[in-house]
Amino acid sequence: MLQFIIRRTLSMLVTFFVVSIIIFMMMHAIPGGPFDGNDMPLPDNIRARLMAQLGLDKPLWEQYLRYMWGVFHLDFGVPYQSPGETVMGLIAHAWVPSLVLGGLGVLIGAPIGILLGMAAALNRNSWIDYLASAIATLGLTIPVFVISTLLILVFAVWLHWTPASGWGEPRRWILPIMAYAAVPMATYARYARSAMLDTLNKPFVTVLRAKGLSERRIIFQHVLRNSAIPMITIFLPMFVGIATGSIFVEAIFRVPGLGAYFVSSIQKRDYPLEMALMLLISALFCISYLISDVLYALLNPRIRLGGKGR
Amino acid sequence: MTEIATTSPALSRPDGQKRRSPAYLAWRRFAANKAALVAGIVLLVIVLMAIFAPLISKTGPNDQAFLTKALSFPSAEHWFGIDDLGRDFFTRIIYGARVSLGIGLSAALFSLLLGLPMGALAGYLGGRFDWAVMRIIELFSVVPPLLAALLLATLTRGGVWAIVLIAGLFGWVNVCLLVRAQVKSFREKEFIMAAQALGASPWHIVWRHLIPNSVSPVIVGFVLAIPLAMMLEASLSFLGIGVQPPTPSWGQMINVGMNFMYFYWHMAVFPVLALAVTILAASLLGDGLRDALDPTLKGR
Amino acid sequence: MSEHALELSQISKEFGGRTVVDRVNLVVPKNQVVALVGESGSGKTTTGLMALRLIEPSAGRILLGGHDITSLRQRDLKPFRRQMQVVFQDSYASLDPMMTLGEIIAEPLAIHAIGTASERRDRARDWLQRVGLDGSYATRYPHELSGGQRQRVSVARALILGASVLVADEPTSALDVSVKAQIVNLLQGLQADMGLSMLFISHDLSVVRSLADQVVVMLRGRVVERGPTDRIFANAHHPYTRALLDAVPVIDPTARRRRTFLTAEEINANTPRFRPEDIEPQPLVDTADPQLVALAGSHFVEAIVTGGR
Repeated sequence: MLQFIIRRTLSMLVTFFVVSIIIFMMMHAIPGGPFDGNDMPLPDNIRARLMAQLGLDKPLWEQYLRYMWGVFHLDFGVPYQSPGETVMGLIAHAWVPSLVLGGLGVLIGAPIGILLGMAAALNRNSWIDYLASAIATLGLTIPVFVISTLLILVFAVWLHWTPASGWGEPRRWILPIMAYAAVPMATYARYARSAMLDTLNKPFVTVLRAKGLSERRIIFQHVLRNSAIPMITIFLPMFVGIATGSIFVEAIFRVPGLGAYFVSSIQKRDYPLEMALMLLISALFCISYLISDVLYALLNPRIRLGGKGR
Repeated sequence: MTEIATTSPALSRPDGQKRRSPAYLAWRRFAANKAALVAGIVLLVIVLMAIFAPLISKTGPNDQAFLTKALSFPSAEHWFGIDDLGRDFFTRIIYGARVSLGIGLSAALFSLLLGLPMGALAGYLGGRFDWAVMRIIELFSVVPPLLAALLLATLTRGGVWAIVLIAGLFGWVNVCLLVRAQVKSFREKEFIMAAQALGASPWHIVWRHLIPNSVSPVIVGFVLAIPLAMMLEASLSFLGIGVQPPTPSWGQMINVGMNFMYFYWHMAVFPVLALAVTILAASLLGDGLRDALDPTLKGR
Repeated sequence: MSEHALELSQISKEFGGRTVVDRVNLVVPKNQVVALVGESGSGKTTTGLMALRLIEPSAGRILLGGHDITSLRQRDLKPFRRQMQVVFQDSYASLDPMMTLGEIIAEPLAIHAIGTASERRDRARDWLQRVGLDGSYATRYPHELSGGQRQRVSVARALILGASVLVADEPTSALDVSVKAQIVNLLQGLQADMGLSMLFISHDLSVVRSLADQVVVMLRGRVVERGPTDRIFANAHHPYTRALLDAVPVIDPTARRRRTFLTAEEINANTPRFRPEDIEPQPLVDTADPQLVALAGSHFVEAIVTGGR
């Protein structure tokens, strides 16, 4: 088991290293730096001095190594758009709205999705089954910004129930939270349904029924426990996936979170901030995959006992 | 068919071959899936509207023919109203379908061109090549496609072909995995060994056995790549780094529409619905095809 | 000396440092059925696949009708492929699900460019009838048939080129008992009609008894006993062979079935021991230890020879 964890960790470190190089190269392939073009016309000598100050005149590999050295000390440099701060400081206050809204979205969306999926699996081909499938398909196929726009249209523009943009007073959080909740709800409705159906079709459930156990005990004691593994293991990757959606949610609802900074960093060619956010999300993905791999191995007795079984 | 069939009555109808071929059985499974069937019909209508857009609408997508009536609400004459620049909004929407579907199809084709040979080779050769391909795919799984697409889009400064390229770059992974799994499972099958024992050349085995048996994952991979690419295009265009105006793109129209939606709701509603319906139809069609063509792929 | 239909000499296979088949000698005389028996993992299927050159042997030689085919390139091997064919255990995986039965049976003719398309179709129909299926099955697909019917199709495909050697890899072990008998009868009939020589790989000794002329027993990649079928069934020497024989279901309810699983220690402890004078005055087959020694009536067994001469 320990060997498995070490092997997965090493492989993830290598993956992350390669990804960091690719991201770094991509970032530097973007035409134009922060001091080009019409945005910021500067005399050549001042420009050169600024470039030297920021280390942009060094060879690429040296820039990369210097940068990664800093990253290990949580030093991501200074964002070009607000030189008074550090990237780390900016991220440190920007993640709050993202985490609060995204977290609440998951906390609300996931349980509803699970309940919906369970109800669907227990009442196959009923209206609730179709409803769950419809929600799952809609939530997983329609882009977040479409859902967000629809939410504003319906609840803010037509019904006037809520304000259209978020942050500040909690009343403004309702719509962004609903937008955030869509993906986890859909994901869990689909997973819970298929995991429950899978388990319900296993021979051991038939045996339990034959033994005369009550349906309630079968479902809550046996089926649920066996269906829980896939639901637990997809949680982290899904949570990180929601971070991607935050770009749109925050842009639409004007929430000053990480996603909003990501968009502005791209528009303003703010390498340090952009790099930091990309690395952060890739690292989160790496870690979440690693944890869910390990969790899966821990929770699944067949793997723990030496990986025989099927 | 002169011989007397000695089978169950269910199979003894005269029009033998077609009724029982794998393709026919797949069609029957597909047709039994009402959602997929409806999705297919809806998508077909949208495709036809996109193709025959110039016949449906008298004005072009960028003709500011109704400037005096700018921002008018939907009417019998202008079904979806007029936009802020005096263009018929219905015309804009159906020309937007051209852009959206065109990008979806080209990107899916590009995914196929990249994913099919990679997946087939990885599955057939195994070993180091397979290992290398799987490591590359792992890299792609760690980078969120949308974020990378944002970066790449700024790098290329948007444009239709850049988006096709980006969508294909992230779309090939699925096709590759589907084809690889299929080829891998068939490579060890006894009928391949039987053909080898008969002295069949590798070419014969690939052409007569592996390719016909890989049609399902290829079709499924292709169709499922379409909505993904459309979603990517709309997302990038929405952020203003995708298809550039005045080319009509739904994502871009939603972006503009959001600024007007408090007073002119039609500017947001129609592109949102057009995008949602099309992507939903394409996804449902893909899911239906997957279930019909290969029941064992279900739920991947 | 007449040539044998198929002869494997000192054939071995290693997979990742593990010896799966260890210097196996095996002869299939013309018009005879030789059964290769052993539990799963004994290397019998690997041996069969090596005979067919579907797996390349690590060492040893393969002779088909006296011709050494061990290292022929695929192109030069092709004419020999017509002489030796195969039927596998899994009847469903043996047939391409996208092809009709007619196409499947005619495929060998197409691969070897024999006849026109319509001639190939006619011959495929003939063969369908020869294996006991109606000609109208030509337009059916494999998924429409039962396991026994599919196995008939496999047999037809294997024999349409007029092969003289058939490697049958557990062709009956996935079938119901009644269907099993039908396939055995079919193989028996075809063997007599066509003068087939057959390498029949199986762990089902009741089938082996009714079909085989000779039996070869494999254990962990080695041949431990071989001889004429009646001698093996009447007078098996090796403990492993005996265990296999004991595993055959018996009709007599009073006869108690014995445990069939033997540990390596048990086998080693019970390996027959002979003094040199007990052994036929023939050259020993193998010089490795323990050796195959020859007993009366071309019966060989792995044994330890004690008290040297």
